Amino acid sequence: MDVIQGMIGELAGNAGFYAGLALEHIQISGIAILIAIAVGGLAGILIAEFQRAARPTLAVVNLLYTIPSISMLGFLIPFSGVGDVTAVIALTVYALLPMVRNTHTGLTGVDPAIVEAARGMGSTRLQVLLKVRLPLAGPVIMAGIRNMATMSIALAGIASFVGAGGLGVAIYRGITTNNGAMTMAGSLVIAMLALAVDALLGVVERRMGMRTARARRQNRVAAGVAAAVCIMAVAGAGAGVLLAPGSAGTIRIASKPMTEQYVITEMLRELIEDRTDLTVELTQGVGGGTSNIMPAMESGEFDLYPEYTSTGWNLVLGEGGVYSEDLFGELADAYEDELAMSWRGMYGFSDQYGLVVRREIAERYGLRTYSDLARVADELTLGAECDFYERPDGYDALCETYGMSFGDTMDMDIGVKYEALAADQVDAMVVFTTDGQLSQADAVLLEDDLGFFPSARCGNVVRDEVLEEHPELGPVLDELEDTIADDEMARMNYEVEAEGADPADVAHEFLVDRGLIEEG
Amino acid sequence: MCEKNAAGAPAIEYRDVTKAYGEKTVLGHFDLSVREGEFLTIVGISGSGKTTVLKMANGLVAPTAGQVLVGGRDVATCDQVALRRSIGYAIQGSVLFPHMTVEENVGYVPNLLNGRDRERTRAAVRKWLGIVGLSEELLGRYPAELSGGQAQRVGIARALAASPGILLMDEPFGAVDEITRAQLQDELRRIWRETGITVMFVTHDISEALRLGTRMLVMSEGRMEQCAAPAELLSSPASPFVERLVERERRMCRLPGDELANCPMSGAAARI
Ligand SMILES: Nc1ncnc2c1ncn2[C@@H]1O[C@H](COP(=O)(O)OP(=O)(O)OP(=O)(O)O)[C@@H](O)[C@H]1O
Ligand SMILES: [Mg+2]
Repeated sequence: MDVIQGMIGELAGNAGFYAGLALEHIQISGIAILIAIAVGGLAGILIAEFQRAARPTLAVVNLLYTIPSISMLGFLIPFSGVGDVTAVIALTVYALLPMVRNTHTGLTGVDPAIVEAARGMGSTRLQVLLKVRLPLAGPVIMAGIRNMATMSIALAGIASFVGAGGLGVAIYRGITTNNGAMTMAGSLVIAMLALAVDALLGVVERRMGMRTARARRQNRVAAGVAAAVCIMAVAGAGAGVLLAPGSAGTIRIASKPMTEQYVITEMLRELIEDRTDLTVELTQGVGGGTSNIMPAMESGEFDLYPEYTSTGWNLVLGEGGVYSEDLFGELADAYEDELAMSWRGMYGFSDQYGLVVRREIAERYGLRTYSDLARVADELTLGAECDFYERPDGYDALCETYGMSFGDTMDMDIGVKYEALAADQVDAMVVFTTDGQLSQADAVLLEDDLGFFPSARCGNVVRDEVLEEHPELGPVLDELEDTIADDEMARMNYEVEAEGADPADVAHEFLVDRGLIEEG
Repeated sequence: MCEKNAAGAPAIEYRDVTKAYGEKTVLGHFDLSVREGEFLTIVGISGSGKTTVLKMANGLVAPTAGQVLVGGRDVATCDQVALRRSIGYAIQGSVLFPHMTVEENVGYVPNLLNGRDRERTRAAVRKWLGIVGLSEELLGRYPAELSGGQAQRVGIARALAASPGILLMDEPFGAVDEITRAQLQDELRRIWRETGITVMFVTHDISEALRLGTRMLVMSEGRMEQCAAPAELLSSPASPFVERLVERERRMCRLPGDELANCPMSGAAARI
C-alpha cells in the first residue's frame, strides 16, 4: 500500500512534470507511429501487389524487429546522434513489422471472388486496390495499427536512454536517484497512455468492421469530431511555437545517469539562467554516459556536460595507465587540440574509488593513510563488491602497491554494504568517494598516499565554440570552481537518494547556502 | 476499344479456343458464335468449363490457343478495362462488395464510367433498382442487411447498371426459394426482351436453362456436347449425355419426343 500511496503522492505533487513528459512521450511515439503507418503501410501494399517481394521484405522487417532495443539505439547513435531523432527512428523501425505484416495479411486475405468481381467489372489495378482491397482490409490493418501504437508507446520509455524526452526520463531518473515512487509513477503513466490508445483504437477498429447504415452515420460523426480535435491540436501547437518567447541563446547541457550529475546540472541551469540571458536545455541521464554523450558533443548537439578527469583520460583520449591530477595540464591540452573543448569550472570533488575504515578502528590504530592501514591490515576484514576482487587494477594490485594483506575479505552487494559496515561485519571497505550513504556512515575516508586509485575530479567539458559565442558563459562556470568537497557531494546525493529530495531543490539550497543565489 | 460492333459480326465468337492449366486441358478446340440479342444458357456438370467459357468473354481468363472475339475484335489485343466496363458481369455466387451500400454497389460501374457526373450515376442506380423490383428504401443498406433474394437482385442491377450490350451471368440465382427464383427469371426475361441485350447465362438448373434460353449450350469435360434451341435439345438430344441431362424434363411431360416442346412442364414452352 505504501508503494501505491508514494506513487500517487508523487504524481499529484509533480503533476506538471509528468504532464510535460507525457506530452513529449505522445509526441515522440506519435511521430514514430505516423511514419510507420505511412512507410509500413506503403511497403505492405507494395508487397501485396507484387507478391514476389513479400518474403524477402517480411524477412528483413522481422530481422529488424528482433534486434534488442539497446543494441539498436547504440547502433543508431553514431548516425543520428543523441536525442529525439534517434528515438523516433528506433521506434519506427520496431513499428514497421506489425504495420507491414498486417497490411500485407489484410490485403491478401480479401476474398478473391470479390477482387475478381471488381476486376471483371472493369476496375483498373489501382481502383481494385483503392476501392475494394484497402477498404476490406481496413479492419485487419487497423488491428495492426492498434497493436503497433500500443507497443510504440510502451517502447518509447527507452527513448530517454538516448537523451530523448518522454516518460522514460522519470523512470530512468527514478532508477539512478533511488526514487522508486518516481520510477513507478512514470511507468504507470506510460501504461495508462498505452491502454487509453489501445481502447480508443479498439473502438475505431470495431466500428470499421461494422457494416450497417446506422454504424456508418455514427462513424461519420465520430470521424468529424476526431478531425476537428486533430485540427485544433495542430493549430494549438502551431500557435505555441509562434508565441514561444525568443532568447539570447540556448545552452544544451547533458548529464550522465548519476545522482550527482542531476544535482550539479540543476545548479548550472539555475546559475546560468540567473547570471545571463541564456536559456538552458537540460538532457539528464543520457544512457551509456560518456560513450553516448561525447559523440553528441562532437557533433554539436550538446554544448556542455560534467565529466570526470580519469574518464576523460582513459575513455575519451584513450590513454593507458593510472590518471593522477599531475596529468591535468596534459589532459586539458589534449582536449583543446584534439576536440576543441575546454575543462572549465572544476567543482572540487572527486568521484573515485576510496577506502574507508570504521571510525572506531581508525581511532584505535591511529589510521590516516593507506600506508597506515597496510600496517594493521592482517588483523582487519575488507569488504568490497565482487568485481573489485576480479579486476586487474583492483584488490591484488592494491595489496601489491601498499604491501598490505587483509586478514579476511568479504563480497558485498552494493545495496547493503553500508549496513554491513554499520553492523561491524567489516572493518574496512572500498567505496566511491561521493556515495550518498558515506555521508551518514560512522567511518573515516583514508588518504591514498601513493596515489593508487585514479583521480576522478569532476568538471565541465565545454565546446570552445560555445564559449566564444557566449563569452558570458565561462565566468558563470568559474563561479562554481572548488565549491563542492567530496563529503558535500556525498551529502547532497544522500538527500536525493535516501531522503527523496528533488535534485533541483537540493541544487537551489546549495547555491543559496553559498550565497551564489538569493533566497527564494 | 471493343464496344462498337463491326457490322454483322456476332456479339461473341470463340474460334478454336483451348485453355489448359499446366498439363490439364479444361477447354479443348471450342468453337461458338453468339449472335447479338441472343439469350444463351450454358449447362453442364461441375468442372466442365462453363465459368471458363464465360470469363474468356471479358478477358478474365486468357485462352491458351485460339481467339475470342467480342464485337468482331480480339479480346486479347483490346483495352480490357474498357471492354469489361462495356460488359455486365454477375459473378458466380453474385458477390456484392460488403463494404459498399446497395447504392454504391449498383453504381460501381456507372461511377467508373461517369466519374464526376454523380447525377447520372444516381439516376441509373434508381432506374435499375426499380427494374429489378427493389424499393429505394434499400439504397443505404449494406449487403449484410439484405435477404438472399434482395442481394441477388442487387447483383443483377449492378451487372446491368451501365446499360451494357452484353451480360455475362454465372449462376446468378443460387440460393433462393422457387418462387423468388421464378420472379427473378421473369424479370431477367423481361429485361432481355426490352433491351435487346446479348446474354450468356450459366446455370445448373436444366429447367431454368430450357425456360430462359433462346439457345442452350451443354458442356461436358471441356467440350461442347450440344448447342441448340431448347425444343430441339429436348426432342433430339445429340448424345446419351444430353439425353440423361434432360431426362427428368422429358419424363415429366410423358410425351413423345416431337411433341415435348409444347409441354408446359418441360420449361421450353413457357417462353413462347
Ligand atoms: N485458375 C485455375 N487453375 C487451375 N485449374 C483451374 C483454374 N480455374 C479453373 N480450373 C479448372 O478448370 C476446370 C473448369 O473450371 P470451371 O470453373 O470453368 O468449371 P465450371 O463448369 O464453371 O464448374 P462449376 O459448375 O463448379 O462452377 C475445372 O476442372 C477447374 O478445376
Ligand atoms: Mg463455374
